[in-house]
Amino acid sequence: MLKKIFNWLMQPIGLIAVGIVFLSVFSAAVYGISLTQQTPPQPIEFPHQTHVQFGIQCLYCHPGAAKGPAAGIPSQAKCWACHNQIEKTGTSELLAPLKNAVLSGESIQWVPVAIVPDFVQFNHRAHVAAGKNCEDCHGDMSKVNIAINPQVMNMGWCLNCHIETAGEDEEKLIKLTDCGTCHY
Amino acid sequence: MSEQVSRRDFLKLAGLGAATTAVLTGCGPASRYVVREPYQQMPEYNLVGQSTYYATTCRECAAGCGLVVRTYQGRAIKVEGNPNHPLNLGKTCARGQATLHGLYNPDRVTDPIMKNARGGFAGTNINWDDAVQAVADALKNNQPNEIAFLIGTASDHVFDLLTDLAKTTGVNAPIRFGAMNMLESRATLSKAAENLFGQAGMPWFDVANAQTVFSFGANFLETWLSPLSYTRGFANFRKATTTKLRGQMVQFEARMSATGAKADEWVSLRPGTEALVALAIGRLVAEKKGIAVPRIFSGVEPLEVAAQAGVKLEALEHLAERFASTNSVAIPGGPALGQSNGLAVAEAVLALNALVNNFGKEGGVYLSALAPNQSEYHRPASAQEMQAFVERMKSGGIKVLFVHGVNPVFETPNSLGFKEALSNVGQVISFAVFPDETALEADYVLPDHHGLEGWGYQRVGTGVSLPVLSGAQPVVSPYYNTRSTVDVFIAAAKLAGGKFANALPYADEVEFLQNKISALRGEAGGSFSAIDDETFMATFQQFGGWWKNTNALLAPDSASVLNQSIKTQVKDAEFAGEGEFFFVPFVSPTLGEAGANKPWLQELPDPTTTVMWTTWIEINPETAHHLHVENDEVVKVISEAGEIEVPVYIYPAIRPDTVAIPFGQGHTAYGRYAENRGVNPFDLLGKHFNEAGDLAFAGMKVRIEKTGKTQPVSRNESRMGVYGEDLGEEH
Amino acid sequence: MTTLADLKISEVKLAAEEGGKWGMVIDQDICTGCQACVAACAMENNIPFVGEEDSGYGRAMHWIRIERFWQGEYPEVKMTNQQPMMCQQCGSAPCEPVCPAFATVHSQAEELNLQVYNRCVGTRYCANNCPYQVRTFNWRDYERPEPLPNQFNPDVTVRRRGVMEKCTFCIQRIHQANHKAKAEGRELMDGEFTTACAQACPSNAITFGRVDKKDTQVYQMMHHGQSHGKKHLEELGTLPNITYLNGGGA
Repeated sequence: MLKKIFNWLMQPIGLIAVGIVFLSVFSAAVYGISLTQQTPPQPIEFPHQTHVQFGIQCLYCHPGAAKGPAAGIPSQAKCWACHNQIEKTGTSELLAPLKNAVLSGESIQWVPVAIVPDFVQFNHRAHVAAGKNCEDCHGDMSKVNIAINPQVMNMGWCLNCHIETAGEDEEKLIKLTDCGTCHY
Repeated sequence: MSEQVSRRDFLKLAGLGAATTAVLTGCGPASRYVVREPYQQMPEYNLVGQSTYYATTCRECAAGCGLVVRTYQGRAIKVEGNPNHPLNLGKTCARGQATLHGLYNPDRVTDPIMKNARGGFAGTNINWDDAVQAVADALKNNQPNEIAFLIGTASDHVFDLLTDLAKTTGVNAPIRFGAMNMLESRATLSKAAENLFGQAGMPWFDVANAQTVFSFGANFLETWLSPLSYTRGFANFRKATTTKLRGQMVQFEARMSATGAKADEWVSLRPGTEALVALAIGRLVAEKKGIAVPRIFSGVEPLEVAAQAGVKLEALEHLAERFASTNSVAIPGGPALGQSNGLAVAEAVLALNALVNNFGKEGGVYLSALAPNQSEYHRPASAQEMQAFVERMKSGGIKVLFVHGVNPVFETPNSLGFKEALSNVGQVISFAVFPDETALEADYVLPDHHGLEGWGYQRVGTGVSLPVLSGAQPVVSPYYNTRSTVDVFIAAAKLAGGKFANALPYADEVEFLQNKISALRGEAGGSFSAIDDETFMATFQQFGGWWKNTNALLAPDSASVLNQSIKTQVKDAEFAGEGEFFFVPFVSPTLGEAGANKPWLQELPDPTTTVMWTTWIEINPETAHHLHVENDEVVKVISEAGEIEVPVYIYPAIRPDTVAIPFGQGHTAYGRYAENRGVNPFDLLGKHFNEAGDLAFAGMKVRIEKTGKTQPVSRNESRMGVYGEDLGEEH
Repeated sequence: MTTLADLKISEVKLAAEEGGKWGMVIDQDICTGCQACVAACAMENNIPFVGEEDSGYGRAMHWIRIERFWQGEYPEVKMTNQQPMMCQQCGSAPCEPVCPAFATVHSQAEELNLQVYNRCVGTRYCANNCPYQVRTFNWRDYERPEPLPNQFNPDVTVRRRGVMEKCTFCIQRIHQANHKAKAEGRELMDGEFTTACAQACPSNAITFGRVDKKDTQVYQMMHHGQSHGKKHLEELGTLPNITYLNGGGA
């Protein structure tokens, strides 16, 4: 049986079949990996740029960053507080999903962009308290619409900054490179 | 066929490619595909990424401890004690901690159901308007005296609402009942207080300030009356300070309870001799003190008592010396009161306190303070009163039964016939949160909110010197389509009209609560006051209750106690049945009566045996040897009332003539974690009562037969070595 | 007698002199074995329940358990004082050197034994080498049907199959209190926070706090009075950070 299959595979048509199989598996894998590296689609094409240009502070919409672990996504009521006025002008089609969500009472399903795995206990407050600015990690929001991740947020990236921050201070270095600082 | 790659094969290949992709991307940040939903409208007092804490009252037992629940983004995360609550001062028990496993239990009743038939949960989900209509019809279309309410032990807002309803409409007053108050023999305690002091009430024992505690079966470190308060008292009693020595404790019981395990001296009495032993000790104490033996103790002969109880006379003399020489208190409770002569036990033990003159003194006996909006002590129904109610149901005298906060089909012994009597009740409406055995036998199940989702208040019955009304508020919004039972009754009364509407003239539950609570606003000496009713209500919820700042414990009158003869003559305890073993059912310290459906409570080891997830029978090693049974062997336990099969746990601290089985398991409904797990020792209990009307649950004799089966019992101790072979024992 | 501790390198000696940073004092004389700490720990730390069968195999995941032993035979039988047993946060922990993946490491910052879940490959060497038998292993992905996961504490990782875990001294609470103190620009105060077990304990048998400062309650309890205090298996040189008191009894 095996021999029969092997013989068939050695024919030209068999070799072509093997080639097709290989290529399709390879391309599917490449496509799959590339998917994970793309910025995922968001329910609303949210223009950070515009909002930043109006002078709205990051903490206005993401106040959790200064107070606790999660920066948070603003409630729809918060968006609508301004936008129900703007919507009346009928100048932006982008507001339709927000209006629908508010009127129907359904939640907008945002896809988080800057995330860490769940075995990492990241706390915004400690970083803000240490003098980090939002753009240090999240990039310049005045240049993008939908948020993108300017860097791969892996452990090496975290540690580089931690070590840099500690500088010559040995006690600080111990604290900032301790496993238990992030993993528990 | 094989010459070409068919479309199907191509699809297969594509599938393979996708699978490979999945494998490869498994290494990537999979949680990228998580979505996050913001609030529609951020609730008040909520901040992104920050926890909010709400004060409320624990509803896992009737004690009424204050809780502070940590919530995060609308979910209840952790239960903590309310540090300001006078009863528990920031502490919680295991059952309080696990209340979240009730809130987020996968087997809650999610919608109001009109059932197809009793005995199953199949039925139609109805909307709440129809449900309220059904309740209104039940109220309106029956004679008032044919309508009855059965509710839990706690004296709470539901009790007050139904009492109000009963007062003006002629429906039957609500009956408060629970297995715990039956096993705590509350009726016996209050009857003994009435007989001796001329005043009914729940005795309160100030363990904290005593130097010696004699506990006759009272399991006050487990589930008894107010376990957190008694445990705190015990801790203070035990600690030596500059002004006081470490307290000494003696426990009298046939089977070592978790409380008995903490005693310095454990005296194993023959069941039924507790009253005699207490009286004999009293007589010896009087003799030691050189005073004339008071009348109450004069009828016993210590030497005879010693022989009957199976202890040495010298032991009794030594105990009497101990009791006489220090600041002592004697506590009756547990199985000692669940004898046919339980009332005599309670009276004899209370009389011991009179002998050392500790009534109304530090480290002595008090009567519990009444709660702020309470004029007299009101105890829950005794088993005998339940029996009378069952007879009424049987005779067709009850047409509609409303059940809330209690599961009587499970919590009463089969011999009382509650389940059978239900078939003579035209309509049974259950407000159960979980699909329990009583809901199974109901026609409608109209689920109430879980305790953490609902409003309310609860009187603290005992355990604290201050009058306390504990407040409850929702810590999360209701998870399912449930509705507060109080709201259902208010709405139904409106629909029923007439006197019903007049009896409950409230818009909703919150208005009802505010109406009840606002009476306290004018009272002086409270924990807080407010300028208006709304502020008062808000503050009441914020602090988790309202309490007075002055000690309101009642000092019982001791003058005449010693000159009485015990009104109920100390008869020998009677034991029902033929068997050779005394039978001691006890409350599982971790499960209580309603904990079996909470998975983490199931996984908590029993404090004495370390058994988890099931029921066991405790047998003395010597007895086990005679019976040729071993650990994990299933035996059949037979009493006059029934029989059960249960695996053996060989327990070193139980009399050879006694066996014990914990109560808490053996559910036939109540969700996946409770159902068909373990057995219910109530199946063995006959219909026998003591003089105060409490069930003589410890007054049974049983027989044991081998079955040849085994059932491995999960125990936590196996990993640490039994009998101290392993860790910790270095000497 | 020379103990193991004497043979260790100077670092450990230093740690021994300092005696760790966080510590606990447990008064066994007032512990009633009520299991409130066990339940509180499970709720705080997202500990799974394993069910009847697995717990029968000794796979229950209690991070803290109450040990009790029997002495004598009926009728002179006595139960020894209940002994809450959890990770002793050893200064020189036997679990640490045996981990091939460096998943159980010593935190120099908090002086605790850490278990880094994402590093753990499940060799279980650490559990075998722990003289206190306080490490528990996730033999399965234990099921917690909806909506039970609503109760998860977001501050603690939910572990998956094949990972070792143990008591962390509620390190999430340590961090939280630290963050708070830092944001408010002050020192962390004694008694400002406590572990879930100590918080729940109805008899206040568990006290948690700093042992490297002399004015803390824990330090006072450890070094004061009749010195009944005892550290378990100290003779192994593990430098445990939990002190057991036995009151006047047993």
